Amino acid sequence: MHLFSYRAFFPVVCALLTVACGQKSEAPPSAEAPKAEEKAAAPAAPSAIKIGFINSITGPEAPIGENLTNGATLAQEDLKAKGVNIELIKQDDVGKPQVAMSAMEQLVTGDQVTAILGPYTSANSNAVAKLAQQYKVPQLIPVASKDEITRQGHTYVFRLNAVSTQYAKSLIDSALSFGKPKKIAFIYESADFGTSVSTAGKAYAKEKGLEVVGDETYQKGAPDYRSTLTKIKAAKPDLLFMVSYVADAILIMRQSKEVGLSPQAFLGGGAGYETAQFESERDISNNVFSVTQWTPGMDWPGAAEFATRYQAKFGKKPTYHAACTYASLMLLGETAQKVAGDRDKLRDALAAESWKGIMGDVKFENYDGFTQQNRHEMAVIQYQNGAGVVVYPPERAKAKAVYPFPGWK
Amino acid sequence: MQMFLQAAISGILMGGVYALIGIGLTMIFGVMQVINFAHGDLVMVGMYVSWLLFSHWHIDPFLSILLTGPLLFLLGAVMQRGFIQRVLGAAEENQILLTIGLGLLLSNTAMLLFTSDYQLLTTSYSSASFSVFGISMSVPLALAFMVTTIVAFGLYVFLMKTDTGAAIRATAQDREAAQLMGINVTRMSVLAFGIGAALAGIAGALIAPTYYIFPHVGHAFTLKSFVIVVLGGMGSVVGATIGGVLIGVVESLAALYLASGLKEAVVFGLFLLLLLFRPQGLLGRART
Repeated sequence: MHLFSYRAFFPVVCALLTVACGQKSEAPPSAEAPKAEEKAAAPAAPSAIKIGFINSITGPEAPIGENLTNGATLAQEDLKAKGVNIELIKQDDVGKPQVAMSAMEQLVTGDQVTAILGPYTSANSNAVAKLAQQYKVPQLIPVASKDEITRQGHTYVFRLNAVSTQYAKSLIDSALSFGKPKKIAFIYESADFGTSVSTAGKAYAKEKGLEVVGDETYQKGAPDYRSTLTKIKAAKPDLLFMVSYVADAILIMRQSKEVGLSPQAFLGGGAGYETAQFESERDISNNVFSVTQWTPGMDWPGAAEFATRYQAKFGKKPTYHAACTYASLMLLGETAQKVAGDRDKLRDALAAESWKGIMGDVKFENYDGFTQQNRHEMAVIQYQNGAGVVVYPPERAKAKAVYPFPGWK
Repeated sequence: MQMFLQAAISGILMGGVYALIGIGLTMIFGVMQVINFAHGDLVMVGMYVSWLLFSHWHIDPFLSILLTGPLLFLLGAVMQRGFIQRVLGAAEENQILLTIGLGLLLSNTAMLLFTSDYQLLTTSYSSASFSVFGISMSVPLALAFMVTTIVAFGLYVFLMKTDTGAAIRATAQDREAAQLMGINVTRMSVLAFGIGAALAGIAGALIAPTYYIFPHVGHAFTLKSFVIVVLGGMGSVVGATIGGVLIGVVESLAALYLASGLKEAVVFGLFLLLLLFRPQGLLGRART
């Protein structure tokens, strides 16, 4: 039956759409003319530096892709205000690696861009990274978190956000700083994100002397987690480490309440546990911990203003995706301008320099087997009275963590 | 022991909803010999209807089945009269393609209207539970199970005790003979499809408070209900009821004793074994 599913037709439709859009985005011949005139009129002004932006604009990842687009839009405004002249060429990867790769080919060989920003997902970023290395085009990844991407020795690939391993490390470190948990259980969705974060979590937990008493995967979309949660409850863990998407995060917490599962702490590994929707379900989100790449509560320079501007312009709270993309495009644009759009010089400059902005300090370093990876400091938040507040790291904490979990009402 | 009981009871409660979806599918198959691959999408429509009623007019999803059921009955009747009726004599694969097409139409229309975002229907009792001898039960699921039982019992009485019910059963047993006896088989088909769709819609409304709603949620239910129907015996209403509860319990126990990632594998493994050793299903009659 699945053979006949609409998904089979989706790539075809998307390919057609991409072709159609691609043709549209190829500038009409008249666009060249004014540019030439501009050059003639003011020979001193440098021509716009082209940056390619691959993102999931349509397809199943589109709801999150939209946040990246919004972040980039704000960065474009700010770069313009700073006198940085960039031309952002957007390509849609519909959430599929093969489409991302052809978009990359088009941007590098056709549009002759100086650098690439994106793509959004881990799978797509990893596929594009190989091409970036092959074509020697600097690529800056804003949000994809799979460890492997910056562990392959690619010299042209940079990543701003923290890797999956860091999700687990920050969460477990924070729990160890709040109390003395001894046993930990894991429940996670069975795809790439869930398994990579929890594999890192299990390894780190053992390193820290915690006993892993539960290890349960589930398929995204399952309606019933009760028996799994009952099994976990019987193992009596002190910490429950969860990796989920939006809807399953809420279901797992609801059903934990139902079966009366109440460990010392619920640790949510980002994604579904740091959404506005989760936050708004106060019944079940209160006292849950989550880890995030970005929150205005971390007091990074300009972060609060960014949040207000974003809210005013797009009518919703910025997600970390938007903030990461904004910070990435800002530093990419400014640095590209400095080196006048030269790919190799840009690579060297990205590898050498450091920046300060709404994501805190950014520097691309080689460490622990990672190459050109920003050592991003993640924030651990806890939902208290319906709002997420930073509780870890201690020097940035806004409130005292509620630990252990007080139990269900 | 308590863990076993807890898992078994969650399984039975979940299975009740599966059964309701399965009964709808098996009725349609029984009367028309058409496998309705749009069945899961009808569940999806039921979920969206109850979500809309709840979020705009604050009508409780358990009350709104009084509206969702008739609405879905109409939708099913229109689908039958407008489309399915025309392919009743056609080759099986053509019927399958038609129902898949209708399903695509429904799910993509939903995507156009509501976007692909997940919607949650959070009632005051969405995460409420009560405990009986230390076994906790979800309030919305327990309510859903009660409604399912009432609906299934009502359907049983309708099919067994009324003239129309008898006519539907006659049509299912032998379409031509029923026609010769003066039964309007076209009307019976419309009725059966309508009832099937209404059951799917009610099931959708019943799980809406505990599940999440998105346009393609139906696919999982189509597959599951198909397994339930084959398990119970194609066209057998009692078989589908048993099949639904059985699948719910097997899933739940597999998650407890094996691994939650494997529960689907266990369900389909059992399904394969059944097909090997009892191809007519648990309560099905062997075909001659």
